[in-house]
Amino acid sequence: MLRREDPELLKGKARYVADVVRPGMLHAVFLRSPFPHARIVSVDASAALALEGVHAVLSGADLPGDLGPQPCNHLYHGQRETPYFALARDRVRYVGEPVAIVVAESQYLAEDARELLQVEWEELPSVGDVEAALADGAPLLYDGWPDNVAAVYEAEIGDADAAIAEADVVVRERFAIPRLFACPLEGRGAVAEWDAAVGELTLWTSTQSPHIVRDYLSWILHLPEHRIRVLVPRVGGGFGAKFHFYPEETAVALAARATGRPVRWVEDRLESFVGTVHARQQVVEATMAATADGRITAVTAELLGDQGAALHSVSYGPLWLSAVMMTNVYAIRNARVRARAVVTNKTPSGSYRGWGQPQANFVVERLVDGVARELGADPVDVRRKNFVAPEEFPYTGLFHTFDNGRYASLLARAVEVLDLPAWRRRQEAARAEGRHVGIGLTFYVENTALGPSRKLNAGGVLAGGYDIGHVRMETNGEVIVYSGLCELGQGFTNGIAQIAADALGVHPDQVTVVTGDTHACPVTGYGTGASRSASVGGASVQKAARKLRAKAMAIAGHMLEASVDDLEAENGEIWVRGSRERFVTMADVGRAAYLRPIELPEGMDPGLEAIEVHDPEWMAWPYGVNAAVVEVDVETGEVRFLDYVCVHDCGTIVNPMIVEGQLHGGIAQGIGMALYEELRYDRDGYPLTGTFMDYLVPTAAEVPRIRLAHDETPSPVVPTGVKGIGEAGAIGSPSAVAAAVEDALRPFGVRVAELPITPERVLDWVAQGTGDLVA
Amino acid sequence: MIRVRTTVNGRVREAEVEPRRLLADFLREDLGLRGTHLGCEHGICGACTILVDGEPARSCLMLAVQADGRALTTVEGLAPGDGELHPIQQAFHERHGLQCGFCTPGFLLTTHYLLARGEDLGSDEELRAALAGNLCRCTGYQNIVEAVRDAAARLSQGGLR
Repeated sequence: MLRREDPELLKGKARYVADVVRPGMLHAVFLRSPFPHARIVSVDASAALALEGVHAVLSGADLPGDLGPQPCNHLYHGQRETPYFALARDRVRYVGEPVAIVVAESQYLAEDARELLQVEWEELPSVGDVEAALADGAPLLYDGWPDNVAAVYEAEIGDADAAIAEADVVVRERFAIPRLFACPLEGRGAVAEWDAAVGELTLWTSTQSPHIVRDYLSWILHLPEHRIRVLVPRVGGGFGAKFHFYPEETAVALAARATGRPVRWVEDRLESFVGTVHARQQVVEATMAATADGRITAVTAELLGDQGAALHSVSYGPLWLSAVMMTNVYAIRNARVRARAVVTNKTPSGSYRGWGQPQANFVVERLVDGVARELGADPVDVRRKNFVAPEEFPYTGLFHTFDNGRYASLLARAVEVLDLPAWRRRQEAARAEGRHVGIGLTFYVENTALGPSRKLNAGGVLAGGYDIGHVRMETNGEVIVYSGLCELGQGFTNGIAQIAADALGVHPDQVTVVTGDTHACPVTGYGTGASRSASVGGASVQKAARKLRAKAMAIAGHMLEASVDDLEAENGEIWVRGSRERFVTMADVGRAAYLRPIELPEGMDPGLEAIEVHDPEWMAWPYGVNAAVVEVDVETGEVRFLDYVCVHDCGTIVNPMIVEGQLHGGIAQGIGMALYEELRYDRDGYPLTGTFMDYLVPTAAEVPRIRLAHDETPSPVVPTGVKGIGEAGAIGSPSAVAAAVEDALRPFGVRVAELPITPERVLDWVAQGTGDLVA
Repeated sequence: MIRVRTTVNGRVREAEVEPRRLLADFLREDLGLRGTHLGCEHGICGACTILVDGEPARSCLMLAVQADGRALTTVEGLAPGDGELHPIQQAFHERHGLQCGFCTPGFLLTTHYLLARGEDLGSDEELRAALAGNLCRCTGYQNIVEAVRDAAARLSQGGLR
């Protein structure tokens, strides 16, 4: 099925937040901190306000006294609080922190006025990386803290130290994972309108989490939830960055209230580099131990997460997830992890496709390759030997319980699809010619179908993991599905329509999916993220649609004078099995339900509507293999793809076209992480990257053609069997690319433990390579 | 204020603009042609690509006054009618060459330019290099490349409108 939203998007008729126009609308820009750490002594806006057409300037001093801080909804045990506000009250902790909002008749004028703001600053010492932030005497970001550690998480199974002491081989490595950001092509933006007559705020915002935005605004502004309406226009990509709730959303709402006019703010690309949450950055010291025959006996990891200046909406959740994923898909009985969330004078870190999983996958898969290298074993064999076996599910590792998996058979299939033996032969031939070809093949697992609510709450998350599906059939037999999840371009509304249509016996064209309106759509527990839309959202809609079908069939049976058990429904028609000519349409049913209740069975209430909740029993765990073949030019440091294969299993597939598109996009982002993207900072916390000239998002020329193959093992914990696919591509690809590069550079004894693999790094590695490993 | 007279999608448009007004803002805010999207405002991402006298141009790097006397094509000018898609748009639709749609107008106009030249699209490597002036964060480009080839096949039969 092709996507229904495409024609609107292709014709340039879709309306994103920057296209929202309201009568009398004003335009806002932000003054942001130019310093990583400073005190704000004063903000003088008199010259700016004197400019004709400037309506308001608000800075920290103008914020209402009772304004709440920006909430953090993941309150892990023992974490310290890092309160920050819509506008910095008296101190800034990163370059880019919003300091003042300027509101004027046009964006041009607002930018002119911003130039006229006079701010007196008092610079403070700052730290730009985690290791400096942990050093003795490091400048502290928060008064009253003994150090810059916001939280520590520890977990252990078995006895890792004993296992390491007894091991035949032990691999140790320090991994450095760069700071990235999700970087959707559409930046953020918000339009706020304050209706003083009814005391209601309307906010159009480019978000993945409309109900979270509504609830947080309610807490911050002390407005009741039902007096805030959050509307989500078309969203130009989110990838996690728009899961978060931002200071600008609050500030724009305050500006609308202060001016009595609608106010629009649209993030420009340059401010997105410092204003939108960053992600990924960690330093991980890790160890893996194994027996001589390649059985992995232990893994340990000491993780330092660079959180930036504050714990943002999801706290250090991604770092926590990295820590608990350190056993990946392997039956490792001894594991110990410690994660420290460290604050630094940089933009706060948060969500990006995969959360902490790409980091964990990179670390574990690099270590597994290290074990194979030390043993002189085939990396494919080492993986096969250590998989959790199909009969061991449900399987619990460090924290999570995996639903099911047929890892070994999938790996075998990947070897076949790639044609690994052929590539090994080509690699040999290339080496004979002095060319450096490498093959990397790694295994990932992805956490999807996020719930269950009780587990989330017990972990400290102030949100549920459920979803509520609301399905209504209209008088004409057409169906409307209301969902609290958001369409960000991932196409989930198409899958939802297919699921509802299947359950109801109508054609998908008869189903409209409404999202992005907190006054109309039901609450979803967590927002649109964690690859949960198709799985948890789909299940709630399926439940509601089935309930509605039962009522529609009861009405149809009454009309046809037939037993419900004898009815069949498809494409909006319901007939008596065996006599296709005895039928009614859903429109007949709808008409009876709303306009002619006299036709309903005795005692039945009019109306055709159902609301059902799905709270998953546990999360689902799709998995797969990424296999990259690269050639490295040791003269220029360039890495070029010769082949790329991804073989995966995401449970039941609703729409193969969309699943493939999700993988393509995720893998491209993973290739960005592996080879190109890095938000660099100097040691004091000044950003060194701030444009697309220096932050290199991969283009069509860098991303290879990706060959895909699917297995389908339905999830036992999701009623539809659907697991989810949103993040998979981004999780497993960086480790595969790194493995391929290391394999290519094997003659130089190179170990790839830091990303991105830039030409400079490749040349350094080649120059410094030990050359003492097996060629 | 300076008077600008330009032809946009075949229609003559005249307006008084500030000398500093960006062409993209002129199209979006003054003419209401919001299909042209701004993704970076520094000329890298290509989302704002339009055709100026048939050549692709970044409307975020041009001033409205520079469009005086020129003929512009935006995404709104591609489809022949309300209920129809241009063959390039149809190819992107059928090949799933878009997800969030934000970069799509730029890709469509770049593709239009590439196909209007009437030259062979060359190898995948050459085609990908030709598309490298437009960023997409959703699709991984594979289906865009296929859509462009599909569009070329459709147009070789019907001709570029």
